[in-house]
Amino acid sequence: MNKVFTDGLSFALPLLIMAIGALYSEKSGVTNLAVEGFQGVGAFFGALAATLFAPLIGNGNQAIIYIAMVCAAIGGALFSCIHGLLCIRFRANQVISGVVINILSVALTAFCTSAANAAISGNASNKFVLDVSSKFTVPLLSKIPWIGGLFTDMYPFEIIIAVLVVVLWYLMNRTRFGMRLRACGENPQAVDAAGANVTRIRWMAVIISGALSGIGGICFAYSLLGNFSPSIYQGFGYLAIAAMIFGNWNIGPTTLACLAFGLAKSGGLQLCIAAKLPSNYTDLFLLLPYVLTLLLLIFFSRKNHPPKAAGEPWDKSKR
Amino acid sequence: MSDYKSDYIVEMRHITKRFPGIIANDDVSLEIRKGEVYALLGENGAGKSTLMSILFGTYEPDEGEILVNGKPVKFHSSTDATACGIGMVHQHFKLVEPFTIAENIVLGVEPEEKKLGILPWVNIRKANQQIAELSRAYGLEVNPTDRIADVPVSVRQRVEILKMLYRGAEIMIFDEPTAVLTPQEIDFLLQIIDNLRKDGKTIILITHKIAEIKRVADRCAILRQGRLIDIREVADASAQELADLMVGRQVKFMLEKTAPQFRAPVLEVQGLTVKNEHKFDVVKDVSFTVHGGEIFAIAGVSGNGQGEIADAIAGLLKAASGKVLLNGKDITAMPVRERALAGLSYIPEDRHETGTIPDMMLRENLALREYYKEPFSRRGILHQEAFRSYSEQLIQTYDIRCAQGPETVLRSMSGGNQQKAIVGREIEEQTDLIIFVQPTRGLDIGAIENIHRQILQERERGAAILLISLELEEIMALADTIGVLYRGEILKIDAAEKMTTQEVGRYMMGVKEA
Repeated sequence: MNKVFTDGLSFALPLLIMAIGALYSEKSGVTNLAVEGFQGVGAFFGALAATLFAPLIGNGNQAIIYIAMVCAAIGGALFSCIHGLLCIRFRANQVISGVVINILSVALTAFCTSAANAAISGNASNKFVLDVSSKFTVPLLSKIPWIGGLFTDMYPFEIIIAVLVVVLWYLMNRTRFGMRLRACGENPQAVDAAGANVTRIRWMAVIISGALSGIGGICFAYSLLGNFSPSIYQGFGYLAIAAMIFGNWNIGPTTLACLAFGLAKSGGLQLCIAAKLPSNYTDLFLLLPYVLTLLLLIFFSRKNHPPKAAGEPWDKSKR
Repeated sequence: MSDYKSDYIVEMRHITKRFPGIIANDDVSLEIRKGEVYALLGENGAGKSTLMSILFGTYEPDEGEILVNGKPVKFHSSTDATACGIGMVHQHFKLVEPFTIAENIVLGVEPEEKKLGILPWVNIRKANQQIAELSRAYGLEVNPTDRIADVPVSVRQRVEILKMLYRGAEIMIFDEPTAVLTPQEIDFLLQIIDNLRKDGKTIILITHKIAEIKRVADRCAILRQGRLIDIREVADASAQELADLMVGRQVKFMLEKTAPQFRAPVLEVQGLTVKNEHKFDVVKDVSFTVHGGEIFAIAGVSGNGQGEIADAIAGLLKAASGKVLLNGKDITAMPVRERALAGLSYIPEDRHETGTIPDMMLRENLALREYYKEPFSRRGILHQEAFRSYSEQLIQTYDIRCAQGPETVLRSMSGGNQQKAIVGREIEEQTDLIIFVQPTRGLDIGAIENIHRQILQERERGAAILLISLELEEIMALADTIGVLYRGEILKIDAAEKMTTQEVGRYMMGVKEA
C-alpha cells in the first residue's frame, strides 16, 4: 500500500509541473499540445548537462541533479521559442504547430543524443545513462497511517516541484502578471485596450510552459527511466494536457487530476504484483491512467470552460 | 505667443487614413471644446469609428496631426491616449467575462502592493472599495464583485464607463453606445452623459441616431464616405436637415404602409419550448399566430430567445415541446428542407454563419434554395448556365450590386448587398411564410429602406411575415402586431397601433402591467 503512494506521487508531480506548463500557455491564449516535445527536449538538455558535468564535479555527487534540472528548464524554454515564433509571431495554427514540434523533438533528440555520445565517448549510443537519484524519507510524517507512503522514499525533486506549484499558483492568481495572463486567454482585445502588451505576455507564458515541461521531463528521466533515451516519449505530455483539461484549466483541480493519474498507475502495477500475474500483464495494468482518461473525458468534457481565446492568433488590427 | 492657450481640448487637423482599397478618412479636421458633448453623425462606413480610433491611438493616421490641450501629440497605442486623459467605450465591449467587474476595471492599472515587503500582489479588495465609491459618485450602480458573464449589457456598459473614470479620463468617446440598449436604458445613459458633462468632462458621441443627438449633443459633425460634410450647432439644425446631410439626399422618414388586411392564419405556434445545450429553457411555452398579410414582430433585448424561436420554426433547432403549424399542417417534426417546401422562407440573423456560404460565388448562393431541382441539377449534374441566368435575373430584380456579376465571391460584397441577395433568394420562392431576423442589422439607410420596402411588398402579396428585430424603431414602423419577448416568454401580444414605444420598452425589461 505504501508503495502505491510513494510511486504514485513520484509520477504525479512531474506530470503536474508539465500540466501547469501547458496551463500557463493556454491561459494566455496559446493552445499548447507541444508539452510532449518540450519535456523530451528539456530532458535531453538536462541529461546532456549531467553527462558533461558529472566528470567535473565527481561521479555520484547529487548536485548534478540540480544542475540537470536547471539545464532542462533552460533547454525546454529555448525549444518552446519555436512554438512561440510560429503561434505568436507568425500566427500559425497552434494545434499543428504543437503536433509538428512533438514529431520534430523525437527525431531531433535522437540524432543529437547519438551525435553527442559519439563526440564524448566515441560510442554513438542513443541514451545518456544518468546517476541514481538519492531518496529520503520524512521522519514522523512517513509514520502517519494510510498516507505515510506519500512521505517515504521521496526524490528531492518532488519537494522542488511542490514548492514551484505553490509559487506558480500565487503568480497566476494573485499577481498583476497572472491577472493579465488570464485576461489574454479570454479577451486579448480587452488587455490591449487596457494598455498591456498581449504579445509579450503570451511569449512569457509559452516560455514558462517550455521551462516547466523541461523540468518535468528530466524528473521522469531520473525517476522512471534512470537514463535519457527515446523512451522518454511515452505520451506523458499528452497525459499532462488531459490532466489540465480535467482540472478545467485551474491549478488546484489539475493537481487532483495528476494525483489520480499517479495513483492509478502505481496502483495498477501493485495490483498486478499482488495478484501474482505474469509480467506480460503489467503492460495491461499500465494502461490504467489512459483508460481513466477516456472515462473521465466522458464526464468532464461537457462542463469544461477552456480559455475563450485559446487557439486564436492575436491580431491587433482585428476588432 | 507664449501665453497661447487653445480654446479647444482636442484638435484633429487634416486627418487622412487609408486602408487597402478605401480611404476611411479624407482630410478631416475637427475642433472640440472642453466640456461639450460633440456628436459624430454618419452612416456605416462613413469613417466615424476610424476617426475616433485614431484619436484613441488604435490606428495611426497616414496624414494630419492631433493636438490635445493645444499641444501636438503622437499616439502609438491606446496606452498613450489613456495617458493623455482620453477614454473610449467601444461598440463591442472589451471585457473579460470570467473576471469580476472590479478586475475588469483595474486591468492594466492594477493596484499592486507588496506583501511582507517583497511579494507583489494585486489588492483587489481595495479596488472593490474604490470602484464602489466611484460608481456611487456618478450614479453608475454596479456591484464590483459580480462577474461580467452574469450581468446584462447595460451593466457591462457602465463597467466600460467606470473603466474610463477609474483611469481619470477627461475626454470620453462613446461608439454607438445605445445600439444595445432598451429605450429606458437609453434614457438612463443619456442622463449619465449629461451628468458627466456637468462634471466638466468632454464627451464625443459616435452615432447614426439623430434623436439622441438632438437630446444630448451641443455640436454635431456629419461625416459621409470618409469626408467631413458639415459641422452644425445641434440647437439650430432640424432632424430632417441632419438626416439629409448624413445620407446626402432627401430621406423619407415615414414608410407608406397600407391598412392591414388579415387573411387566414398561416403560422400557428402553440406552446413552443426550446432548450439550449445546458438544458435550459431559452424559449418557454410561446404561442402566437401570424395571418396572411400580417407582419407579426417580436421585440426584445438581445439574447432573450429570439433567434431560438426563429430557428425552431425553421427547423434548425429541435422543439422540446409544443407545436408549429404551417397552413394548418403540423411541421414540428419535419426536417428543414421539407419545411421550406411546405412554404417557409427564412432570412436568418447571421448572414455568414447561416444565411450564406460567404466564400462561394453569388450565383451559387442565390441558388441555395433551388440548386437540387431542375433545371439547376439534372441527374446529379449541376448546370452552370442555369445558375448564371437565374442569378442574373435576381441581380436585376433585387438591385444587388456586385463587381463581377454572378461570379462575385459573396464575401467581397458589402453587407447591404449580401443581405439583398439573401432577401431576394428567399422572397423569390414566394412562400406563404417569411421569417426575417434582424433583417437590417449593420446596414445603412439606403439598404434599410430597400429591405423595408420588400417586406411591405410581401405583406401586400398576402404572405405572413414574422419579423424579429432588436431595433424598436423598425418594429414600430413595420409591425401590425407586436409580441414582446422577455427571458424566453412572450409577455404581451397586441396590435401595434395600441402600443407606444415606451410601453414596448417596459415589457422588454420584464415589467408586466404598469
